[in-house]
Amino acid sequence: MLCKRLITVLTFSDGVLFRTKKFRPDYRYTLKFVDSWSVDEIVVLDVTRDPADDRRVFKTVVGEFARRCFVPLAAGGGIRTLEDVHAYLDIGADKVVLNTGALRDETLITKAANAFGTQCVVISIDCAQTRDGYEVRSDFGGRPTGRSPLDWARRAEDLGAGEIMLNSIERDGSLLGYELDLCRQIAEAVNIPVLICGGAGNWKHFEDGFKIGKADAVCTTNIYHFTETSIQSAKSYLAAAGVRVRP
Amino acid sequence: MISIVDYGLSNLACVASACAYLGYEARIVETGDGLEGSERIILPGVGAFGDAMRNLGERGLIPALNKSVVEDRVPFLGICLGAQLICRDSDEFGMHEGLGWLDVPVRRVDTLGEKLRVPHTGWDNIEILRESPLLDGIPPDSLFYFTHSHAAYPAGEDSVVATCAYGRPLAAVLQERNIFATQFHPEKSQKIGLELLSNFLKLPRDAV
Repeated sequence: MLCKRLITVLTFSDGVLFRTKKFRPDYRYTLKFVDSWSVDEIVVLDVTRDPADDRRVFKTVVGEFARRCFVPLAAGGGIRTLEDVHAYLDIGADKVVLNTGALRDETLITKAANAFGTQCVVISIDCAQTRDGYEVRSDFGGRPTGRSPLDWARRAEDLGAGEIMLNSIERDGSLLGYELDLCRQIAEAVNIPVLICGGAGNWKHFEDGFKIGKADAVCTTNIYHFTETSIQSAKSYLAAAGVRVRP
Repeated sequence: MISIVDYGLSNLACVASACAYLGYEARIVETGDGLEGSERIILPGVGAFGDAMRNLGERGLIPALNKSVVEDRVPFLGICLGAQLICRDSDEFGMHEGLGWLDVPVRRVDTLGEKLRVPHTGWDNIEILRESPLLDGIPPDSLFYFTHSHAAYPAGEDSVVATCAYGRPLAAVLQERNIFATQFHPEKSQKIGLELLSNFLKLPRDAV
């Protein structure tokens, strides 16, 4: 039976690893905290606001991960064209994470899926709370799009997306838990895996992500860095709670 | 020398790094001529079946692969799409003929009406049906990383070494003589995947 996944998301700004809070680089840390043998999958994102030099430092980091970690690796940041997709795959990423680029040009999803397979295309959806629900934001969560996350997730699936990565701007770095209701709505509406991101503060939040949010994978950027406890301990907790995970 | 076949779609860097990590030097081969003298051939894979077959053809790799693998019996490992390409045909984006080394159809993942997500993405356990040098020392029920929407569905063929039950059981590991294939990614399956890859790389040349 397919295991639920624990994904480590690493955000880089100007080539430096940061944890984020409400989508702003918040605290700089080092990679020694990443337990690369226990992790199920790694997502690396470049959140540099004004990237210069063709993101060279970030791409070097991605290449290093690809060489040293024998685990699935997804990369994203500034992907606007099929050539950008190719560039990340060339340096060793298995999947690409599309966000603003896909919102600006939906055909990018289909082009990437046709060229590299649907399993290669992760659509990251950044959501902000509104008075009567949620709205998709683009450009580092800064630009309202007027789109509903549920409709965009469905549309992305139709266009060829292989996974949905749902993130909440308000919950990012909050440690208050995931946006469970929205996650469940999306997980029930699409037939591709849904990854929930943003807000995990303890192992119970992971359990809730799977059991209440119906997510296929839970992502964390921050949680391992506040405590000495490891991914192993999170997995023991989940196994005891009846969630099938890779030991 | 280990040859990793490049047909313009694959993530070759990871397979090459896994070989290097295990202490083997590998070369990337883009043309049919380049396959000469190979002691191992790996056909990795990401992408669509039809495009992959077209690219293999355009690079003159099909006759060269047939000669090395089928005639000269060089140990061969197909990974993911590479495992599908050695089969008879695939229905991904229309019907396409494969290399046809195994008389097995490749079809969209059949969930048997269960509510299972496609692509089949993540760590899943395999059920080992018979012995193969590829799985030496690999415990039953081991977890490997899968990410695919299509798979080989053999009908009782002897070539199936292990299956994965995701709806209708799909071929997870195939072997016929010197031809090995895995639907999952050993190069992305942490220590257990590296162990499997090491089994393939250390296999004596005339063992199969």
